[in-house]
Amino acid sequence: MASRPKLSGLQKQVLGLYRGFLRAARSKGPEERQRIESIVSAEFHQNSKNIDRKNFLQIEYLLRRGKKQLDQLKSPDTVGLSSFTFSQQ
Amino acid sequence: MAAVRSALLKHLRLTPPSIGGSPHHPPITPSLSLVIRRWFSEDLKGSFLDKSEVTDRIITVVKNFEKVDPSKVTPNAHFHNNLGLDSLDTVEVVMALEEEFGFEIPDNEADKINSISLAVEFIASHPQAK
Repeated sequence: MASRPKLSGLQKQVLGLYRGFLRAARSKGPEERQRIESIVSAEFHQNSKNIDRKNFLQIEYLLRRGKKQLDQLKSPDTVGLSSFTFSQQ
Repeated sequence: MAAVRSALLKHLRLTPPSIGGSPHHPPITPSLSLVIRRWFSEDLKGSFLDKSEVTDRIITVVKNFEKVDPSKVTPNAHFHNNLGLDSLDTVEVVMALEEEFGFEIPDNEADKINSISLAVEFIASHPQAK
């Protein structure tokens, strides 16, 4: 059935974090929600492409950072999220 | 809140079987049969959804997902192999299904859902799905 190998613990953590962000986004206003979702989705997808799956150190660092950001986002005082993009030369 | 409410309801509903203790219902293993009866009758009363209805609704949700080619969505489609979704996309799909059916899918269950048929199976057997 499973054509892909089972998810590793680290992968599950990342997916769980992603789910957490999407859930937190639900609690915000519809406009903000969409903005949060597109930012978060873009960041997760980008990191999933750019970071080697064996680079545990960085993945773990990003997980920790993500958890902190999620805690902040969960607070009712937080209404939105924004991001900077640096053009890469 | 919901937890408190359901706990209270369960508690309140403990009485009828003992009062109306019907003679034609031999108590096999009282606690277990009670649990089972409660599990299947009151809490979850007739709330299992029809499989074909669930399938239709899931297919509609998946077709509306922007990264999916609607023509490839079939009842047997696998999210990754047939629809080309990665695990992050799959999380999004499952979250969309949560909203469609109005209940929360715990992480360990959600991680297992990787095809439409598995989603149908899980949701059709989940009493809280609306």
